[in-house]
Amino acid sequence: MGAFIALGVFQGAVYGLLAVGIVLVYKAKRVFNFAQGEFGGVAAFTAFSLVVSLGLPYWVGVAGGLAAAVAMGLTVERVIVRPLESESRTIMLVALVGVALFTIAIIVLLGQPIPRVMPPLVQGTGLNLLGAGILPQQLILLAVLAVLAAAMAWFFKTDLGLAVLASSQDTRAAQVVGISPVAISRLVWGMAALLGGIAGLLYAPVGIFTPGFMTLTMLVPAFAAAVLGGMTSLPGAFVGGIAIGVVQNLGIYLLGQQLKVPGAAELGVFALLMLVLLIRPQGLLGKEA
Amino acid sequence: MATATMTFARVKVQRRFGLALRVTLVIALLAVAALPLVYGGDVWAQRISRAAIYAIIGLSINTLTGHAGQISLGHQAFVGIGAFAAAFTASRLGAPLGFGLAAGAVAGMATAAVVGMVALRVTGLYLALVTLAFGLTAETTIFNWREFTGGGAGAFAPRPDILSGDRAFALLCLGVLALVLYADWRLVSTKAGRALAAVRNDERIAATLGIDTTGYKLAAFSLSGLAAGLAGGLFAHWNQVVQAMDFEFQVALVWVLMTVVGGLRSRLGVVLASAFFALLPLTLPNFLSGLPWQPPFLNEAVYHVLPPFIVVVMLLLVLRFFPGGLGQLLRPATRWLTKGGRR
Repeated sequence: MGAFIALGVFQGAVYGLLAVGIVLVYKAKRVFNFAQGEFGGVAAFTAFSLVVSLGLPYWVGVAGGLAAAVAMGLTVERVIVRPLESESRTIMLVALVGVALFTIAIIVLLGQPIPRVMPPLVQGTGLNLLGAGILPQQLILLAVLAVLAAAMAWFFKTDLGLAVLASSQDTRAAQVVGISPVAISRLVWGMAALLGGIAGLLYAPVGIFTPGFMTLTMLVPAFAAAVLGGMTSLPGAFVGGIAIGVVQNLGIYLLGQQLKVPGAAELGVFALLMLVLLIRPQGLLGKEA
Repeated sequence: MATATMTFARVKVQRRFGLALRVTLVIALLAVAALPLVYGGDVWAQRISRAAIYAIIGLSINTLTGHAGQISLGHQAFVGIGAFAAAFTASRLGAPLGFGLAAGAVAGMATAAVVGMVALRVTGLYLALVTLAFGLTAETTIFNWREFTGGGAGAFAPRPDILSGDRAFALLCLGVLALVLYADWRLVSTKAGRALAAVRNDERIAATLGIDTTGYKLAAFSLSGLAAGLAGGLFAHWNQVVQAMDFEFQVALVWVLMTVVGGLRSRLGVVLASAFFALLPLTLPNFLSGLPWQPPFLNEAVYHVLPPFIVVVMLLLVLRFFPGGLGQLLRPATRWLTKGGRR
């Protein structure tokens, strides 16, 4: 059981990292970004083709992957988000779901639906924590999550971050005092894409990865993590991510291994999501703005 | 006086003529649409059944998203539960097909009502998230529950002798589709439809008008689940075997997208778009492999992802350029056909 908790903490770090991006977009635009996972997918596949297929150094792959993710974020912002700004949020959500599916389809078209192995950032056997083998890559992931959550929390205290919040609360009033909604929109989607790209680059080497790996299995737990944390809180995304990871793995241990319930991981996440929404919809650390 | 009467008579004649023309046109269109059923053999009969099933699913999503303004990204749960309930009734209990379809419809409705009850305490975007998570849970937990669904091997849903032919089954599917279309039409043109429109436009104003918003939203959920379960039951007997992997969540996303492409609240648009996306995975590989020149990046695995790709491209085009979907594009024609006479 200890092993499952340890695994859960590190699995949760990925959810937290995605949740940070989801929270950022929600704070700034009041939109649920269903395309967040695919920023990571694009980054991972670009880095893979640079590092493994072309044999370039690792840092080139990382830089290329992140650049591809940011380029995708800015494209999505320009082509999809901005023209649909005045539509209902349901339409925007459907469009973002469309973006995620579109990206997965493109990745499959260009790179065949086969599993791939990305070399890790640091080679090594890893360490044994409560009976679970933890890779160095996963330790880096957790550390990066902590740093990024803190950095984003700090960002919303700076003038630029406050401008983003002001634009989110009242676009017109913010425009009057010189905050351009277009610039803010670009900034937010670029940052969200960068965060998603980092998540994808760090998570891809943990196991094998296939097209859509970030969206198909990671996105719903990441949203649950963001909701658990309060949807607007960056420390909440950190805490929520790790909590969801632990709950998911405890679900696998208690329901799956002991009671033989199929799909225990999804059931655990769904149950926790429902509990949060029914009992404490504002989440653990959520408040306005 | 005399001129007035004559003008009146001429207008009347023109109106009669216009009516006859429109009726003939509609019948001709329906006849063209029926051609593959008559001359296409079993292959096209199967395809038409699939198109009709997809159209019922599209109308089911249209009830929820189009009429009530609620989103569901977990519709595969309702369709799947309907399918497994129908298969269970048919193969384990040996009940006639009608009972199976009824069981599917009731199962879909009950599931949707329960999900709706929980989900209506959350609004808007959170509803999308809850239904998405529920769909995933249903896919991995309920559909893999061995006693109910037969585990990985799937549940069998044999057809009775009278419907064993594909053409007879296609007629059944079309009949159910006609029923669902009729129900949708009645829903929209009665008090319930107007109440749902009010709820969709502004819940708070609807509440001040004395509309039971929660009740109507729950009713929309239940109706949507009923149609979805019915479609699931038909799907079970169409395929004659049901497996968990028939109801992956990408399928549910494609259903939502195809409904939006068809145009929310446009019956014709939804039916056409659903039929198109039902047939695309079946006809596209044949079409592409029959091309004289094969593009280098195309192969069997890629055929599999092309249909969702096309859905998404169409969705993005639709949202960007004509948000009313196919229904909006067809509106001039449909308006002329339905009430062109009385302006």
